[in-house]
Amino acid sequence: MAKFILKRLAMLPLVLFGVTVLLFGLFNTLSPEMRASIYVKDPRQLAALDEVIRKYGLKDPFHKQYVRWIARVAKGDLGYSETAKMPVTEAIRSFFPATIELSVLAFIPIMVIGVWLGTLSAVYRDKWIDHFSRFVAITGYSLPSFVLGLLLLMVFYGMLKLFPPGRYSLASDLIINGGNYAAYTGMVTVDSLLNGRIGVFFDALKHLILPASSLTYITMALLVRITRSSMLEELGKDYVRTARAKGLPESVVINKHARRNAWIPVITIASILFVQLLGGVLITETVFAYPGIGRWVAQAAVQLDIPGVMGVALLTSTLFVLGNLVADILYAVVDPRIRFQ
Amino acid sequence: MSRFKFTFAIPLAAALFLSSGCGKKDSSSPAGGGKTASQSSKNKDTYVHVTISDIDSLDPAWSYDTASHMVIENLYEFLVAYKGGSITELEPQVAEKVPSIENGLLSPDGRTYTFPIRKGIKFHKGGEVTPEDVRYSLIRFMLFDRAGGPSSLLLEPVTGLDSTRKDGKPLDAAYDKAAAAVTVEGDAVVLKLHKPFAPMLTVLASWSPIVSKEWAVAGAGWDGTKETWKAHNNPEKTAEAFYDQENGSGPFLLERWDKKTKEVVLTRFDDYWRGPAKLKRAHIKGVDEFQTRKLMLAAGDADSIYADYLQQPLLKNLPGVELIDDLPRIDMNPSIYFVFDIETKGNPNVGSGKLDGKGVPADFFADVNVRKAFAHSFDYEGFIRDVNRGKGTRAVSFIPKGLFGFNPEQAHYEYDIAKAESYFKKAHGGKLWQNGFKFTLAYNAGNQPREVIANMIKRAVESINPKFQIDTRPIQWSTYLDMSNASKLPMFIMGWAPDFPDPHNFAFPFLHSNGNYPRLQRYKNAEADKLVTAAMTETDAEKRRAMYYRLQQIAYEDVPSLYILNSVLYRTQRSWVKGYVYNPIHPDSPYSCPLYYLSKE
Repeated sequence: MAKFILKRLAMLPLVLFGVTVLLFGLFNTLSPEMRASIYVKDPRQLAALDEVIRKYGLKDPFHKQYVRWIARVAKGDLGYSETAKMPVTEAIRSFFPATIELSVLAFIPIMVIGVWLGTLSAVYRDKWIDHFSRFVAITGYSLPSFVLGLLLLMVFYGMLKLFPPGRYSLASDLIINGGNYAAYTGMVTVDSLLNGRIGVFFDALKHLILPASSLTYITMALLVRITRSSMLEELGKDYVRTARAKGLPESVVINKHARRNAWIPVITIASILFVQLLGGVLITETVFAYPGIGRWVAQAAVQLDIPGVMGVALLTSTLFVLGNLVADILYAVVDPRIRFQ
Repeated sequence: MSRFKFTFAIPLAAALFLSSGCGKKDSSSPAGGGKTASQSSKNKDTYVHVTISDIDSLDPAWSYDTASHMVIENLYEFLVAYKGGSITELEPQVAEKVPSIENGLLSPDGRTYTFPIRKGIKFHKGGEVTPEDVRYSLIRFMLFDRAGGPSSLLLEPVTGLDSTRKDGKPLDAAYDKAAAAVTVEGDAVVLKLHKPFAPMLTVLASWSPIVSKEWAVAGAGWDGTKETWKAHNNPEKTAEAFYDQENGSGPFLLERWDKKTKEVVLTRFDDYWRGPAKLKRAHIKGVDEFQTRKLMLAAGDADSIYADYLQQPLLKNLPGVELIDDLPRIDMNPSIYFVFDIETKGNPNVGSGKLDGKGVPADFFADVNVRKAFAHSFDYEGFIRDVNRGKGTRAVSFIPKGLFGFNPEQAHYEYDIAKAESYFKKAHGGKLWQNGFKFTLAYNAGNQPREVIANMIKRAVESINPKFQIDTRPIQWSTYLDMSNASKLPMFIMGWAPDFPDPHNFAFPFLHSNGNYPRLQRYKNAEADKLVTAAMTETDAEKRRAMYYRLQQIAYEDVPSLYILNSVLYRTQRSWVKGYVYNPIHPDSPYSCPLYYLSKE
């Protein structure tokens, strides 16, 4: 197993190299003048744009520019985001914890409910539970996230006054910014517990419930369908028939035999979904006024804040690579044949 | 001087009925208060305003946008201030008295103002306001003079210079004139103008608040000497501590400006000389999505929100929410501006940068036919009827209706696609019609009326010739300002809120080549420049009126910008908010206001 993981880790730099070349290549399709505007902090510097192009070698051959850029990235210098009004690395550091918090809170129900509902709909094919899960999947697929977000806000905040938008309430704001509160991780739920502030913890949780539910509903749809089809395939195989013929209880047949073999496509999809969540959920974060990566990159994209967009693209690609690695490792865990191959 | 001031100001005041009770209140709560009266506010001593704009800078000498300025007005104090909802009556603030000929603090020739400085006013971070602080503040405001900033509001009437620079280089005379014009005499500060300037006190009621010299110097700011002023002239936005910190003497101090969440939090200054404000804290939050803002208001998590007339029907039946409607404005908002010499280098808004059907060249709007074509491509009446829900009247020039100098007979452009087509055919020697064009028409994110304007222009222009393409795109406010400052928006939509209630404050920013918009537009008309300067100091009312009539005609002939609306606005707030006083001169009013007078039940 360790050898398998090491082999996969050894490939990581290669994959990252490919990703950065691709990203930088895309960036280089913009004209040198447009790329020079990244270094321009003030309109008056525009007169010196040619000087900026010379200074940063923006007309140099691609490979020379790439090496310079990657050296800066390696030092953590991703440029300055005008949208965030701070350096990109600092912006990622400050926005990312909020997104991690939201993603984790959404991902747990996505996995638990998604796999459970997918399994049930395969086992009870064409029964009411299958129809129900199909309904959930179709509405999840087709409902635009801003519609669902607003709908949830109207019902659970507007009518029932239960779950407000934003990240925390004014009362928590007084505690968090009051001077006696340490931001260890930037994640309010975690930091509040570390600071012994249970009230802040529940308040942050209250603010997370609606965006997390909205994400769960929309993102879960794919997982439900994949789990169902994968389970159906496994349930039709000979070893399942044999297990049943041996007189094993149905719960053992489903949970221990069929579902374990159905995990591979589920893991693939789950890893992609989790990384997508971590990369920022633009609409959901905007609708819920939630200060995560998604809301920032949405603003950065419409304002052509290239360093901001590049920074998030680099982060997302790295996360995808790491997500794939984790998925590969999980394949090997659930199916030992993979590591031997 | 007094007579001169009243000649222009009283008719305006009468026309606008500017008092705290002038707006029509439309409380959505049941008659007699009922449910509303029994509702008590959330967070009684904290006021939450939710808006769409984020602030650009907290430096009083840099900021020239309403979102930043309304925060500054709560952090700092001015020599004098507007009294309640009046735009003509002033009351003393940092000065002990408002200078007038009657009290002997204004010289009979209208050029010398004496401001006795109030004692015992404390700065937020320690120290008391001194006459030297006042002198420093006024001179710094004039000499800071960032491109496109507010310095000329004071610089021009005080020194006679419309800029501190010539050909990009600071002028030695600028310091000499400013320093000679502002002097300390005992406990008073004396301000000597280059020429009489009637609206001078109203300028000082909104601009050049008093800053602490000691704190400024400690924060790498200008030390007040002749030797160093050039290094602090036209600096970069973030160069000084004033950008995101403050040490004013206003009723609130800055707790934090969270650039990540676009939120500003103000805390009450307990040592404020007029006594502490009723509110303990104020949050100004940025939420782009209207439905979220509305729900926050309905739930009581916001005490007031930004909303426009498109959104008004959705706010009308919210329990506990009141709409104060039909508040007259003296602004020119929205207006559409053409850039005569577009910055095409590194500019994503101009496509190829050529007139080849895939972009626009730098001089695209330099051809008057293009501007006239666009002027005929906008459905002004349709906008007022459908977008503004019939509120307001058609603007025919850059001077708002009701203000001195406004010409009700002024010729103006009407929506006429056939005329637009004929001008497009003539433009750029016929090449424009043959090749077509493509550019981005941006608007500030979250501003729905401006979004609609952009899309109305897009649809009308693209319907004339399939080779015409306009992309519309939202941009965050601060970036929008940066891009327009750099002349990178070929055409942009903005509004002009008055700095002081006088036609000069519209003529200069709209038509003078050093004015706010012509600088960005790179527009210059020598006759207009001369007339704007002459009209500012003309004391004969009829001659002055004739000058403004001519300027409005120049604006019609040159078409540097399009004027849409003499507007009215409404304010949306929880009915538990008390003490709101409407004054159109306050930045970002009626959405925001001086927080000192507000309280919550």
